[in-house]
Amino acid sequence: MAGIKTSSGEYIDSSWELRVHIEDLGEDADPVTLRVTGETHIGGVILQVVEKTGISRDWSDHALWWKQKRQWLLKTNWTLDKYGIQADALLLFMPQHKPVILSLPNQRSLRIRVCFSGTTFSSCAEVCKVLGVRHPEELSFLKAPEEREKKKKKEKDPVTQEIFDLTSFQPSNFNTTQVQVGGIPSHFMGSPEGQECYKALSVCRTGLTPEDVQKRYKPTTVVDKSAIHARWLDSSKSLMQQGVQEGDRLWLRFKYFTFHDLDPKMDAVRINLIFEQARWAVLLEETECTEEEMMVFAALQYHVNKLSVNADNCMHLPNDPALQDLDEALSHLEVKMEASTASEALEGIELEPELQENLRVFRPRKMTLKGYKQNWVMLKGTNMSCYKSKEEARGEPLIMLALKGCEVIPEVNVASQKFCIRLLVPSPEGMNEVYLRCENEQQYARWMAGSRLAAKGRTMGDSSYDAEVQSILSFLDLQKSNQNAAAESINMLALVSPRYQKKLKLKQLSPRILEAYQNIAQISLVEAKLRFIQDWQSLPDFGISYFVVRFKGARRDEILGIASNRLIRIDLNVGDVVKTWMYNNMKQWNVNWDIRQVSIEFTENINVAFTCVSAPCKVVHEYIGGYIFMSTRAKAGSKGLNEELFHKLTGGHEAL
Amino acid sequence: MAELVADCKDAEMKVNNQTNPSMALASNVATFAYDIPDFTHDLPTGSTDDLSYLPPPPPSEWEMDLPPPPPDPEMSEEKDESKDKVDQIKLALDKMKEAKVKKLIVKIHMTDNSTKTLMVDERQTVRDILDNLFEKTHCDCSIEWCLYEENPELQIERFFEDHENIVEILSVWTRDSENKIRFLKKNEKYAVFKNPQNFYMARKGSADTKDMNEKSKVALLEQSFCGASVVVPELEGAIFLKEDGKKSWKKRYFLLRASGIYYVPKGKTKTSRDLACFIQFDNVNVYYGMQYKVKYKAPTDHCFVLKHPQIQKESQYIKYLCCEDPWVLHQWVTGIRIAKYGKILYDNYKSAVHKAGLASRWSSLSSSSAPSTKGESQGNGHIPQNVTNVSSSFSDAWKRGEAVGKDKQQPIDIRKTEQKISHPAPTKQPPPAPVRVSSNMHAAATPPLPLKAKPAVTNRPPPTTTISQWGDDFLPPPPPELLDTPPDFLPPPPPSFNSGSDYPAPPQFTNVGGTGGAPPPPPPPPPPATPSPTSAPPQLPIKKQPPNPPKRRDSTGLRSNAPNSLMANGGGAGGQPDFMSDLMNALQKKRSTTA
Repeated sequence: MAGIKTSSGEYIDSSWELRVHIEDLGEDADPVTLRVTGETHIGGVILQVVEKTGISRDWSDHALWWKQKRQWLLKTNWTLDKYGIQADALLLFMPQHKPVILSLPNQRSLRIRVCFSGTTFSSCAEVCKVLGVRHPEELSFLKAPEEREKKKKKEKDPVTQEIFDLTSFQPSNFNTTQVQVGGIPSHFMGSPEGQECYKALSVCRTGLTPEDVQKRYKPTTVVDKSAIHARWLDSSKSLMQQGVQEGDRLWLRFKYFTFHDLDPKMDAVRINLIFEQARWAVLLEETECTEEEMMVFAALQYHVNKLSVNADNCMHLPNDPALQDLDEALSHLEVKMEASTASEALEGIELEPELQENLRVFRPRKMTLKGYKQNWVMLKGTNMSCYKSKEEARGEPLIMLALKGCEVIPEVNVASQKFCIRLLVPSPEGMNEVYLRCENEQQYARWMAGSRLAAKGRTMGDSSYDAEVQSILSFLDLQKSNQNAAAESINMLALVSPRYQKKLKLKQLSPRILEAYQNIAQISLVEAKLRFIQDWQSLPDFGISYFVVRFKGARRDEILGIASNRLIRIDLNVGDVVKTWMYNNMKQWNVNWDIRQVSIEFTENINVAFTCVSAPCKVVHEYIGGYIFMSTRAKAGSKGLNEELFHKLTGGHEAL
Repeated sequence: MAELVADCKDAEMKVNNQTNPSMALASNVATFAYDIPDFTHDLPTGSTDDLSYLPPPPPSEWEMDLPPPPPDPEMSEEKDESKDKVDQIKLALDKMKEAKVKKLIVKIHMTDNSTKTLMVDERQTVRDILDNLFEKTHCDCSIEWCLYEENPELQIERFFEDHENIVEILSVWTRDSENKIRFLKKNEKYAVFKNPQNFYMARKGSADTKDMNEKSKVALLEQSFCGASVVVPELEGAIFLKEDGKKSWKKRYFLLRASGIYYVPKGKTKTSRDLACFIQFDNVNVYYGMQYKVKYKAPTDHCFVLKHPQIQKESQYIKYLCCEDPWVLHQWVTGIRIAKYGKILYDNYKSAVHKAGLASRWSSLSSSSAPSTKGESQGNGHIPQNVTNVSSSFSDAWKRGEAVGKDKQQPIDIRKTEQKISHPAPTKQPPPAPVRVSSNMHAAATPPLPLKAKPAVTNRPPPTTTISQWGDDFLPPPPPELLDTPPDFLPPPPPSFNSGSDYPAPPQFTNVGGTGGAPPPPPPPPPPATPSPTSAPPQLPIKKQPPNPPKRRDSTGLRSNAPNSLMANGGGAGGQPDFMSDLMNALQKKRSTTA
C-alpha cells in the first residue's frame, strides 16, 4: 500500500526505484520497476510485482531472490531496510520449487520438484515425503559428479534410462496429513503413471547385466572412497544458495547409516532404496566383503530379483483389516494344526512319503580305489539307508545315516550330466562322507530336496517338499540356459562384483550361489531385502565414511573414518586402524571456520584436531553432528522430526 | 473353523474318556536307558489312541490364559462359547504336542562333588535348568552360573548358552559317553557384557583393561547388540592352527567376521577380498581345549576348538587353534560366540541379570519376614521357618562344600552322567493342569510319597524329580487371580525328608509367596549319596499319584488357570499363546464388525 502511495510521486525524496526480474518471463524480459521506500515490506513488493505483470495466475510459490547476496527474501513482513536492500539490488522473482533430476540409490532417475528456498535438509524431507520414505534425516542430496563423468559420458548416456516424472506432484501439497493406502502414499494411486512410478521406487531393479556393473565407477582406494563426500550439499543452506540450477542432476542417497525403525509395512520404498544402495555398495566394492559373503549377497539378490519379477501385483489393495486378521489367525491355525497333527502326532499313521531308488553310492575312504557302487537307497523320515539291492532291503542296511543336521552339498555339472549329492553326516567319530549319484535331473531334484529337508529335521511329508523340488529344477534349468548363453532373466554374473566376475566362471559361480540360495529360498521378498541390509551392516567396513584429513601436528595426510558411533583414525597407506574414539566419550567439538579446523574434546582430556583435505569441513562437521542427532532418535521415540535439533548439531556459522 | 473345533472337541473327549486307562497304561512303561534310536522308536507315536498317554500338563497353559480378555464377569455368552471352543482347541493341541515331548534324566555335577539329578524335557532351555538349580541349591543366583559341558575324551569344555536346548545337546552324546555336565561359575560367560569396552574398543592384542562408566557401557552394548545386525568385535591376529592329522602347529593370521573366521593366504593382504574362509559358524560350536600342551604338543595351553556338536571323538573335522595368551583366547571365544549367537547372547545376559536381581531382592524381602533365618545365607532367607534346622544346616554345609569345590576348581570324583529317557514321565507328572493339580494333590497325596521314598534307599530319584517339579511349578510368579486365593495354591510342603512335620507349613508360605511375589523354594535336597536313578522301583511310589488327577482336572484343570509347571516351557510352546490370542482377537474383531 505504501508502495502505491510512493509511486504516485508525492514523496519523491524518500522513495526509490527497485528493479525486479521475473524469471517466468524469460532471461531477456525487461525487469519490472517499482517505486519503493525503505519501509516497504517484502510482501508489498511482491504484491506490486504481481500487479505490474498483469498476469493472473498462481504466484503463491514465488519468492524474491537477491542475486548478489545469494539470499532468499522469504520474510514478507520484513522491510527492505531490514534486509538492507537498496536500489542497486538485483532481485529475481521466481518459484521456490523447481524441477531437478534426482538420481536415486536404485540408479533410477526421477524428475521431481524440489524446494530451492528452504534448507537442503527440509527440501530433502519434502522429497522423501513425496516418495513415501520415512526418516528423511538419514538421506541427503549430493551434487552429481562432473569431471569424472566426462570420461564415462559416452558410455553412460545411452543407458540413461527412463526418467520418471513426478513433477506433477507438488510437494507443498503434501504438507498436510498424508493419506496412505495400504502403506502406499495415496498420490501414487491416482494415475497409471503414478503406479508405474511407485513400482520403480519400491521394486528392485531386475535384469542387470554384468556390463551394468562393470562400467560403473568403482572406487578402489580409501582416497577414492573419500571423494564422494566432497559432493554433499550443505544441509543448512538452500539449494539455490549452493548454485543448484533448475534441471540439474542431484543424487539422493542415504547419508547416515543408521536406519531407524525399519518397518516392512510402512517402508516399502525406503527398504527398497536402502537395499539398492547396499547392493551397489557391495557390487562396486565400496563396502568390501569376502568371497563367501559375496555368494550370500548374490543369492539374496537372486532371490529378490526372482520375486520382484513375479510380483507384478505389488499394488493390490489390502482387504478389510479385521477380516485380514481373522484370515491370518485362521491360516495360522491351519499351519498349527498341520504342524501338530500331520507332521507330528499323526506322523506314524499316515503313510509317510519315502524315496526308494537305485542310486550309485560312493563312500570315500582312505586307501581305497573303489568307485561308485550301485545300491538300493532308501530315504525315510530323516534317515537314509543303503542296501545292496532291492531284494535285501529287508535285512541289515549297508549304511544307515541319520541325516538330521548334516550338510548337503550339490555337485552338479549339467553339461556333463553329472548330478551328485555330497552328504557330510556328522557322527560322534567325525563326518561321514557319502556321495549319491543320480541318473537325471528329476531324480536328483527329488533326492536333493529330500536330503535338504532331512538335514533340517523335516521329512518329505513337509509341505515345502514340492516347492523345494521345483526350485532345484528351476535352478538346473537356469544353469542350462546359462550354458547355452541364452537370454535369461537373471544373469548370475551381474550379482557379484566385477572382481568375482573375473575370478569365477559362470559354471563355478552358479552352484555356489545356488548353495547359498538354498538357505534363504523360503523367505519373503521384504525379508530378503532386510536380510541383505543386515548382512551388509555386519560387514566390518559398513557405514564408515572416509575423509582425507591432516591431524594437527601430523606431517602427512591420514584417513578419518566417521561411523555411526565412533571416529576412526586410519593409516592412509596401510589401512590399519590407528585409533578409535567413541562419540559417547565426546565432550564437545568445535569448528574453526577460518582455518577450517575441527577440534574435538573427549573425556580424559583427549583432544583431537584436524583439517579436512578431501571435503569441506562443514561436511565432516555435519557427519559428526548428524550421527549424534541420529542417536538421539531412539530416546525421543516416534515424536516427529526435531529439525531444530538437527540444525543445532549440524549447522555452523561459516565465516563469510 | 467349525469343523476344526469339532475335531478338536472329539480329540479332547477321547482324551478325557481315556484318562484313566491311560494312567494304567502309562504305569506299565518302564524307564529305559538312554539311547536315541531306541528313544524315537519308543515314542508314543502312532494312533490317536496314543493321545491317551496323557501328556503331562501343557506347561504354558496358564500363560495362555493371559492373552484372552480378562475374565470379565459380564462376559457375554457368545464370548464364553468362543472361549470354550478356543480352550478346547488349545487343549487338544497341547495334548497332541505333549504326547511327543521327550524327556531325559540328567545328572549334574556340583562344585562340591555331589551330583543332582534332574528330569529335563525337550522344551526346557539351559536357563530353565539353571533356574531350577538355583532353587535347589540356594546359591547366589549370580549370572556367572552356568552349565558346563566336559568332554574328557577330547579334553574340551564349553558352557552352554542359556537359550540352548539341553535335550538337543545331550541327544548327540554317545551312549557310553564320558561327558559330564557341571553346574559352576564361569566369569567368561558374560564378561563381554560387564566390560564391553575390553572387547569392542581394546587395541589389537593388548590386554589392557580399561574402565568405563556404566552409562557408556550400556550405550556401547546397545550399539553393538541392538542394531539391525549385531556388531562382532574386530578381532585379528596370528594364531596357531593344528595341522590336519599332524602334530605340528602352524601360525596363521586369522580374522573374525560376522560370517566366519578367515585367514590371510600366503602372499596376500588382509583386505576383505583376499581373505580365505577358514570356517563358518552354522554347524560348529566353540570349545576350550584343556591341557593341549601335553595332549597335542600345543605351543600354549590357551586353546580353542571348533567342531560340529555331534562329533565326540577325535576326527579330522575338528579344528584346533592355539592362542598366545589367555586374554586372546578369551577374546576369540567370546567373539565367536557373538558372531554365532548374536543378540540372543545379550538377551540371555539380560534375563540372567534380571534373575539374579530378583533373587537378591527376594532374599532380602523374605529374610525380614522370616527372622529365624535372618542373616543366613542368601538362598536360605526364603526357606520357611518350619523347615528349619535340617535345611539350614544343610545349606551351610552346602556352602562350605561349595567353597571347597571352588578351591579345588574341579571335583575329583568322576562320575558318569547318566541320562535316562524317562518315558513314563506322564506318571510322574500329574496329568493336565499340573500345578493346581499338584498343589491339591500334594495336600492329599504327599504324605505317602515321602514315607515310601524314605525307607527305600534306592528311591533317590523320585524325590528329586518331584522336587524338580516343585521347583518348576513355582518358577512363574503366581498369576494374579491366584494370589487372591492363596491357600489353593499354597505350595505343599516340600517333599522333604522331614516329612509329616512340614504340614503346617502352608500358611507361612502364603505370606512369603504373597509378599515376595514368588514362591518359596523347597529345601535343598540332601546330596545324593549313591545316585542310582536307573532303577525301576522308584517309579512305584509315584505311580500311586495318577488316580488323583482326573478328579482335579474336572474341577479345576479345565479352567486351566493353574500356574503351570515350567515357566521355562514358555520357550517351547511359545508360539501357542500368541497364536491363541491372535485367534481370540480376530474372532472378537470379526464379531464386533459383524454385529
